[in-house]
Formats: sequence, C-alpha cells, structure tokens
Amino acid sequence: MSNYVVLSPATHKNTHVLTERGEAQGDSIQYSLIYPLEFRNIQSCYPIFFSKSAETGEFFPIALFGFENNENLFLDENGWSAAYIPMMVERQPFLIGYQGASEDDLKPIVSIDMDSPKMSEDEGQALFDKDSQPTEFLKAMMTKLESLHHGHEHNKGFITALTAEDLLEPFTLEITLDNGSTNQLMGFYTINENKLQELDGSTLADFNSKGYLQPIYMAVASYARIRALIDKKNALTK
Amino acid sequence: MKNTINRIVIVGGGTAGWLSAGIIAAEHFMGEKSSSSDHNFHLVLIESPDIPTIGVGEGTWPSMRSTLKKIGISETDFIRECSASFKQGTEFHNWVHGKDDTYTHPFTVPHNFNETNLAPHWQQLREKVNFANAVNPQSALFDKQLAPKNIATPEYSFHVNYGYHLDAGKFANLLRQHCVETLGVEHISANMTAINSVENGDISSISTDTHGDIQGDLFIDCSGSKALLLGEHYGVPLVSKSQFLFNNCALATQIPYQNSEDPIQSATLSTAQAVGWIWDIGLPTRRGVGHIYSSDYTTEERARSELLKYIAATASEDAAANATIRKITFDPGHREKFWHKNCVAIGMSSGFIEPLEASALVLVELSAAMIAEQLPANRKIMDLVAKRFNEKFLYRWDRIVDFLKLHYVLTQRTDSQYWIDNCDPSSIPESLQELMDIWQYQSPWHRDNYHVDEMFPSASFQYILYGMDFKTQLDPRFKRTDREAADKAMGLFMENAKRTEQLVSSMPTNRELINKIYKYGFQKI
Repeated sequence: MSNYVVLSPATHKNTHVLTERGEAQGDSIQYSLIYPLEFRNIQSCYPIFFSKSAETGEFFPIALFGFENNENLFLDENGWSAAYIPMMVERQPFLIGYQGASEDDLKPIVSIDMDSPKMSEDEGQALFDKDSQPTEFLKAMMTKLESLHHGHEHNKGFITALTAEDLLEPFTLEITLDNGSTNQLMGFYTINENKLQELDGSTLADFNSKGYLQPIYMAVASYARIRALIDKKNALTK
Repeated sequence: MKNTINRIVIVGGGTAGWLSAGIIAAEHFMGEKSSSSDHNFHLVLIESPDIPTIGVGEGTWPSMRSTLKKIGISETDFIRECSASFKQGTEFHNWVHGKDDTYTHPFTVPHNFNETNLAPHWQQLREKVNFANAVNPQSALFDKQLAPKNIATPEYSFHVNYGYHLDAGKFANLLRQHCVETLGVEHISANMTAINSVENGDISSISTDTHGDIQGDLFIDCSGSKALLLGEHYGVPLVSKSQFLFNNCALATQIPYQNSEDPIQSATLSTAQAVGWIWDIGLPTRRGVGHIYSSDYTTEERARSELLKYIAATASEDAAANATIRKITFDPGHREKFWHKNCVAIGMSSGFIEPLEASALVLVELSAAMIAEQLPANRKIMDLVAKRFNEKFLYRWDRIVDFLKLHYVLTQRTDSQYWIDNCDPSSIPESLQELMDIWQYQSPWHRDNYHVDEMFPSASFQYILYGMDFKTQLDPRFKRTDREAADKAMGLFMENAKRTEQLVSSMPTNRELINKIYKYGFQKI
C-alpha cells in the first residue's frame, strides 16, 4: 500500500531515494500509464495500448512490459534494460498534487510515498542538502513531475478525442511461445485503423493542431514492438 | 388514392407515441440527410399541447436496451436524462402465504438454461435453497441493492441481464428531442378536431386546430385509453379480461428518499395486500409507489389506508402524511383487434392491464418493431399485414393474461374473498389450466414455447412456479436412469454458488454506479 506524505525539508532531511531498478524496488509491473507527449520515445521500446480504469471506466494509454500480472520482461540483472523509461515509472516514489483556494490559484504540492521500496535512510540520492535546499536530484524530479501534470491535461483531451471518433477497439492477442504454451492478452484496446483511415480532413487538421495526430500514429507504429516482447518471453521460458 | 405507404401519422405523444416514432424512424431513415433522398418516407407525430400524458410503465424489460441502442440513444444520456435506474427483475412479498414470504423473478435465465433444465434437479434441494438462488446469481444482488454491471462495462452490456426503471415523462421528452433532432420526425403540436375518411373507410387525414389537415397513408393511434381513432372513430370494442384479472384501480404516488444517498432497489418490489398488491419502484431521485386493487372487493378508502401504511413502514409517517395520491381506473383488457383499415393502435389505446410484469412498454416496443419491419409496401397488402399483426398480438395478450394470472392461482392465501375467487377454476383461462396440469408432471422448458418470439420464456414460468412453492412430481424413471445428468446438475449448482459469491463481492451498489454514470458516463466499448 502507498503512504504519501507532503514533502518538506524538515521531515525529509535524511530521506534518500534508491535509483536502481528491479523487482525489489517494486518495478515488476506489467504495464504503466503513459502520456501522448512521450509516445515517440515509448514506441521505440514498448507496444502502446489502452486500458480502462476500473474506478471510472475511462480509457488511459499504457506501455506494455509483459504478458501477465507482475511480469516486466525489461527487468534483468542490470536493472531496467530499455532506452527509455516512462515518466510515470520515473516519477516514483513522488507524486504531484495541487492545492489552493480556487481553481485558478492552485499551487503544486509534491508528495512522497514513505512505504515505497525505493525509500532509504542512507543509500541512494539525498533530497535536501545541508542547508535544507533541494538537491540537483530533487530539482530534476520536480521538473519531471511538472511535465507529468501538463501531460495529464493533454492526455484527457487526447482520450476524449479518440472516443468521440470511435477510434478505440477492444482486441485479444494470442501468442504461442516456442515451447508451445499459449498466452492470451485480454482487456486492452488498440487504435481502430479502419476508422482512422476514414477520418475527414477537418478532423485530421483539428487532431494535428492539438498534438493528437502524431501520438495516434506512434501508437500504431508501436505494435511492431510486440514481436520483441514475445522474443524476450521466449528467451525466459527456454 | 395513392398506393404506396410513404406517410405515417402518429396521433398522440407520451411514451407510446414517441417510442413508436423512434423505433419506426430508426428503421426507415437515419436523420435528415436521407429523409430528403429517394425513398420519400415521412413520419409525423401530432401531439396535443393541452392534454397531459399519463406516466404509465415506469418499468421496462431488458428488451429496452436493444431498443434504445437501435434508436441511437446512448445509455449514458438515457440514464442521466430519464432518472433511470437498473431493474433486474421483480421481488414478490406475501404472495404465497400473506406473511413473511418472498420470492424473486430475475431477468437472467437459469445457469446453462439452453442445455440443461435445472428445475427437476432442484426438486431434491428445495428444502435447502430457493429456486431462484439455486439456479441464478441475480437474486442475491437484490438483497444488497447491487448493480448488474460496473462503470468499466461498456454501455448496454452487462454481468447479469437488466432493464430499467425510469421517469416516463422525462423519457418521452428525451425521445421527442432525439426523434425530431436526429431522426427527422416532424413534430406537430396541435389538437385534433376531425378525422377524415375516404370511401373504403380508410382515414385520409386528421384535421387540427392550428396546422390544417395532416394527410397520411397509415395512422398510428397513440391517444391513450380514449383510443380516439381505433376506439372512438372505428368503434373497435374493448375485450374485457376482468373475469381472469380482477384489478381495475390504481392509487399512485411518489415518495422522496429520506437521504439523497439512500439505496436504490435492484428490482421492482411487489407486495401483496388483502386485495391487490403494492408496487415500489426505486429511481435515483425518488420512489414510485402505488396500490393496484379491484373495486369489486375493496373500497378506495381501504386501499388508500393500506398504501399509506406501506409508505409509513418503508419510508416514514411524514412521507405518508405528505403523499399526493392520484387515482387511475381502467377496464383490464385489450381491443378486439389492433389494426383496422389503415389505423393501428399502440400503447393504452390497444389495451391496458395491471403492471404486474411491466408489460406495457414492451408491448409498445414489439408493436412498433413489427410495424417498422413489416411496413406494408402498398395499400393492397396492408390488410394482410394487419391480419398477421392482429393474430400475433391477440396471441401475445392471451399469454400476458395467462402469465399474470399464474401469479394469483398459485397463492395459498385465503384471507379474503379476493384471493379465494382468484383460485376459482372459473376464473382461470383454459390455456393456463392446461399448462398447470402438464407442469404437475414436467417442469416448463423450451418445449413449451410454441412461437420463436414467445413473450415470456419458460424460465419466467419456472421462477414463478417454484418461487410460489408449486410442486412438480418427480418422474420415478428419472432417478434410475439419469445419474449422469444429476451429477452435471450438481456441478452447475456449485458453479452458480461460486459465481454468486464473486458477483456479490465485486458489483457496486446501484447508487454508487449511478453516481459514477453521472460523473464519468459509460464507454461504448
């Protein structure tokens, strides 16, 4: 379970964050939420699909790391072996929230998950220096968190546009491994390419101006990454 | 006279009129673009600005899901705008003994119903578990006011089958808006002043006070119980069914929730009284409660005091004291025929019967769907289509009467002349008596369906029969020869128990789900 508390120099003077990645650090995840703004980087490493929130029924884009629960095929003895790691993974164990008297007057509040396996008292990166000033590590993290916030807003519009044009469709992926065993991947959604080809010029122009068009095609291109993921799985099950 | 059937005129708004308009329009043209194209089809609905509509039928069957989908209304819009909630069946109280007895008629058929008839196998378990719970997980959801799906389930899909409870006035408004704005139906707000005919007796036009004469090739009478076209104009009489179904009055009211987050029931509650029964329908915004009774057996005053007692017990003394009660009287029955000349009646103009199994709206759906699908190409074949329509719907009305009567004849109540007379053989239709005789030796199953589109599936008969303690004698041959089938049935009972546990622990409450629909809506996929 998570236990987020607001970050402050007083409370977190001695807090360190481990930057290694692996099973012990809580990185055995099958997929992660991603943002359209990072699709270009994501598609160079992972297949991009869409999942549905059990809480709200709303869609969100994900990068797929494995074929079953808690399976991350990118983890090995060297950590997370991929050229790019999604922002939502990178931001761990931090979270950005906003507080304020009104909608127009919100200030970012950074929280930290005290129960995260990435927390340490003496190893890893310190958050504050002797003068209670944020370290370079924390400053870099804050920048990432802020772009996450912008990504979040952009993502909302992106998903609304996709569903309004019926561009998502459910799919089932059946893979047969070299050892003959079959895996079925269900409950994810992809871009409906037939619908995509039928979009009229004004919708395409609108998507383009809002920065939705590129990520759609990045998602379509990312399906080529499924093969690499199957190869990783085959290598493990030999 | 023109030969082709191009102009349909619906007389009367309300749910029957607008639902019919939506179903026919969705089948024959999709919006204004195509209505101006080659086929020249036109649908007009004349609605009086002065006559208020009666909100009949606040409960639907699961068929309403596919009807709405076909008409092109999103489930999210429907639930938000019609104050709709999920109806998963009916829960009957006090129908068997008159005190502390309950059984359910869920919308989902028994587990594996297409392949296995679990009813005979349940006979050996009847002391341990009631029929509905043994064969189906749905009734277990009723007790905790749980929903038939969750927010991640696509619109119109489900975990367990459901229809709706809805606000009929709001439903008519949503349908009107959709019909006019999206489906290209012409809406004329005017009062009918005359019905004009041609020599062969067909209606040629309807004269109105503000919009002149409205010409048409086919006229649909949705004018309510007055049946202005089929009844008043053509004189097609009403066939009373009061010898079988005694109820002819209703006292209806609306009760606010004590607290805006109070649970919303998953089923229509039907509680039998000394004479008649009380319905209780939970919408997100209020409850609709009413007492259906027979004026031959009780007085309005007694019925009213029973209704107020029920409200005081299930809501509060205050709610009972503040209730505004509306009285509706009706002659239970249907028109001798529904389609005469170039006029067909849908809704209360075609007949009305107590809403024990919410048959009013489903009859509208079925009538409009048949008209939409079999719309006569020309006047010549209209009489043939009319004949088939009449045969089909007379059959359906008879089945409704049989099925409703079944709820009464199985009672063990003798506390009033009403219940005693309801069990008198002279008040039981012959067709029902025959079925009951057969059911003493074999339980209802697919073999009982004479028609492919039977109104009530044999599963419904099973739920009522075995819910009301009916005994089907086990065939002694069955025990010796069917070990394998018995083992399979036991496996299915176990599967059902497991699935029940899963659903009860994972489904949100109706209130939680409806709040989420208001906030997020359903996805289409």
